[in-house]
Amino acid sequence: MSIREPNKTITVTIDGQECRGEWGQTILQVARANDIYIPTMCYLSKVEPIASCRMCVVEVEGVEGMILSCQEKAVDGAVITTNSDDLYRERQNITRLYDVNHPLECGVCDKSGECDLQSKTVEFGVDQQTFAARDQHRPVQDWGFISYDPSLCILCEKCVRVCNEVVGDEALQISVGGYKSTIINTKLDQQCAECGECMAVCPVGALVSTDFKYTANAWEMEKIPASCAHCSSGCQLYYEVKHTSIDNPDPRIYRVTNEHEFSSLCGAGRFAFDYANEGVQQDARAFDQAVTALRQADTIRFSGVITNEEALLLERLREALAVRLVCDDAYGYQRFLAAYRSISGSTLYEASLKTVADSQAVVVFGTRIYDDNPMVKYHMAMASKHHKARIVYLHPMEDARIQNLVTQYIKYEAGSEEGVAALLAATLLAGKTVSDPLAGVLDNLDIGNLSAESNVGEEELDTLKRSLWKKEGFTLIVGADLYNHPEAENIARFIAAIERYSDFKVLIVPPATNARGVAEICTLSEAVEGYTVGYNAPGDFVLSALGDGDLDMPALNQQEGTLTTVDQRVVPTHPALPYEGYTLNQLANALGVGSRYTIDQTPHLPRDKGYKAIAFDDLPDYFDALGGEHRGYLLSPGEVETRDVFSEIEELPAYDGLVVYRCNEGSAFGPFDARSVHRKHEAVLKGSEQFAVAARLKGGERIRFELDGESYERVFRIDTTLKGTVAIHPVWDRGLSAFALSSYRFSQLKFETTGNE
Amino acid sequence: MSLEQFKNRNVGVQHYRMLDLSHTPQTGWGQFKQVVRRTLSLELFVGLKVTLREMTKALFFGKMHTTKYPFEKLPVGPRYRAIHEMKRLLESGHYRCIGCGLCEKICPADAIRIETAYGEDQRKQVQEYTINFGRCIFCGYCAEVCPELAIVHGGRYETASEQRASFSLFDDMLTPIDRLKEQKEFPGYGSVSPDADKRIHKTPLAY
Repeated sequence: MSIREPNKTITVTIDGQECRGEWGQTILQVARANDIYIPTMCYLSKVEPIASCRMCVVEVEGVEGMILSCQEKAVDGAVITTNSDDLYRERQNITRLYDVNHPLECGVCDKSGECDLQSKTVEFGVDQQTFAARDQHRPVQDWGFISYDPSLCILCEKCVRVCNEVVGDEALQISVGGYKSTIINTKLDQQCAECGECMAVCPVGALVSTDFKYTANAWEMEKIPASCAHCSSGCQLYYEVKHTSIDNPDPRIYRVTNEHEFSSLCGAGRFAFDYANEGVQQDARAFDQAVTALRQADTIRFSGVITNEEALLLERLREALAVRLVCDDAYGYQRFLAAYRSISGSTLYEASLKTVADSQAVVVFGTRIYDDNPMVKYHMAMASKHHKARIVYLHPMEDARIQNLVTQYIKYEAGSEEGVAALLAATLLAGKTVSDPLAGVLDNLDIGNLSAESNVGEEELDTLKRSLWKKEGFTLIVGADLYNHPEAENIARFIAAIERYSDFKVLIVPPATNARGVAEICTLSEAVEGYTVGYNAPGDFVLSALGDGDLDMPALNQQEGTLTTVDQRVVPTHPALPYEGYTLNQLANALGVGSRYTIDQTPHLPRDKGYKAIAFDDLPDYFDALGGEHRGYLLSPGEVETRDVFSEIEELPAYDGLVVYRCNEGSAFGPFDARSVHRKHEAVLKGSEQFAVAARLKGGERIRFELDGESYERVFRIDTTLKGTVAIHPVWDRGLSAFALSSYRFSQLKFETTGNE
Repeated sequence: MSLEQFKNRNVGVQHYRMLDLSHTPQTGWGQFKQVVRRTLSLELFVGLKVTLREMTKALFFGKMHTTKYPFEKLPVGPRYRAIHEMKRLLESGHYRCIGCGLCEKICPADAIRIETAYGEDQRKQVQEYTINFGRCIFCGYCAEVCPELAIVHGGRYETASEQRASFSLFDDMLTPIDRLKEQKEFPGYGSVSPDADKRIHKTPLAY
């Protein structure tokens, strides 16, 4: 045995083949990286080795007995055998044990054809059962959107681990009882995250989607690789498509799967796939009207749910037609990024989802992250579970659903974000050498006053500071509350300063699917002026992928193109369903700026913004054997001239009385998600008991209020998990007008009661 | 039998034998004599002997060989692969098909389509099932792959139709419930082999 040294390449011999690996990798990882097959049953790359199946046993020279390759680190010079008669017999016996009393219902099982147990049974030639175990009554359990069949379950624990380590929901547990063990869902009444991750990693048919169950077989459906269009994470997924019915040969999406070994999806990505604009034919008259409308338009207003290529086409239209571009989703974000860059000097923020997962300390500020971007929350959970990370959550509303992850919750008053950002900067940069203008501002901070106004106690900040001691890897996640704050730019400067002068890396979560791409590609104006053409946004002439506008447009699962994600990665997506109508590219063509196909724009995305001149068809889209992501490309970093200017902090705005917070709860991302029949959300105003008392409202009462020029009529519901006088105000059910909101997310509520539910 | 004699193309040494045929008459007189001889020796009736015998049997003894199709039909062999039938379970009368979709997958002519759903009885329910007989090539793969002996070939061989595509639905092929007693097993491909009892091992049970 040689000496263990970190960051060293090691050489091991596996089955006579010399393999290179890195120190710290397990035998299984080295083998996989070198294309050597070791059978596994319970191993799941994205969680810690479970080691429940013992299928991955190998023999190591000089070591007695069999070694579990999934959890044993490879040692330099080790000679490993992955296959021998003994190992084969061992694995065959494991398979035999798995097969005992496993119902012989492959004929109807949804997993048949992609079932690990099926594959292993064939691989190890287990064709009969020679011994028996007493079977018991194990009825199928209905978990709402998922069905659990305990008699099919092999207790590999993947679902439990993924629910705990990746999703951070801690809903699933193993009820230990020897042969009677089962998986139990402890959050049946309080609703788990409903992400379907457990179902995705289930190697057998024990966990299946209730809506999908028994409607199609694994081998019938065509897998169409795509990127999720619901939020800025742009997660990898496959739309699985088959003909609709015997009578209707048109393709339909039956379900969404993903490379579950390495990447994850949230509930919206997995279940809200049926938002396509279907049955559209080319309407030449509407098309001509659209061209005329665009010619006479003063403003084109559009949503952030758009591909990079379309954003570029809109930018070209802006140049050609001299119109204003308004994107309410991205405008604030663009300004925020610009201000951030003026301090950081780089076009890119330093953090990515991976750095979040690898952090030992994560500070979340200005976002209800559970709802705004589930994937960021998953990576916070991974940091918490794998690195025991400190998670500090700063927000006016405590989030009971991530209580298990958050180690410190700091409440601040709605509207006081600028003060909080300054306090954070003062705390995290104390004792660091900073530029003179910043030092001037930080030294002049009236900390006592800011603390009092923002309600962030100095001792809370001390605790925060102390908890970072002896930690490595710091991430600061900032979100959508800040981008439309009246003082967003100054907040951005403080955030950038924290990144520049401390060890923190910053993740600036884009507020909409491709807000980042729009912010990079388009020159945006703040407000609408004159005659407006709306593209997935309200306007005088509306191009809509929801099917309710003047001209139909394809939804994002009917288009090819690229998205720019929270990881600053440009990922390709492919159309899952056909679309017969007109596209934005055709409109652009009619106006003289388009190209043959929309994706002909891909290599022309602005190179000075970090995009690369790679044709769409040349973009890679896969994960390698160890989970390395090769989807599209990462934006190249660029330098920006810095301007070290900070403004003094004026009086912090106060939001007294009843406040509502615009938030699409339960990752109900918006109008597209809302079209899905698989998702069951309720658009109600949700407040705490305290809110109800302050507002003199009872649960079930119907109220009317006006916000952002829109009139809402909502049922009020009391949610006992909430605290304080801020209520949650969803807008996902509002159609296109949900894409035209660019105000600060907290607002004061004035309402009138209009009766009961 | 070896192929040697076919591969040997050296015609000269093979044992050809000339047939013992009389010579063709070369002269006009010779040809005339042959015609007269053949006419008077009544060789024609030697050839018609079988026909006349069968005619007599049909006319006077009622032994007719012609099948008056379509009023009469000949039985086909039990393993003949004609129009499909869907079988039921003999005890419960429930259809045997479990909706696994293997027949749909294996069909080389892409003639089969099946729609399934989660039924109220928690079983996989066949909602609709069609075979397009315009496409079906009657290869028998569907019957062979069926794990439940549910889809089999029947004896109905008349497949002519007015349209190129001619569909059969699930209920058309399913054994009528009132004729369940008459349901017969198909002995062709995919059926249980005669020595199945010897080859099946019982799974031990712990009760």
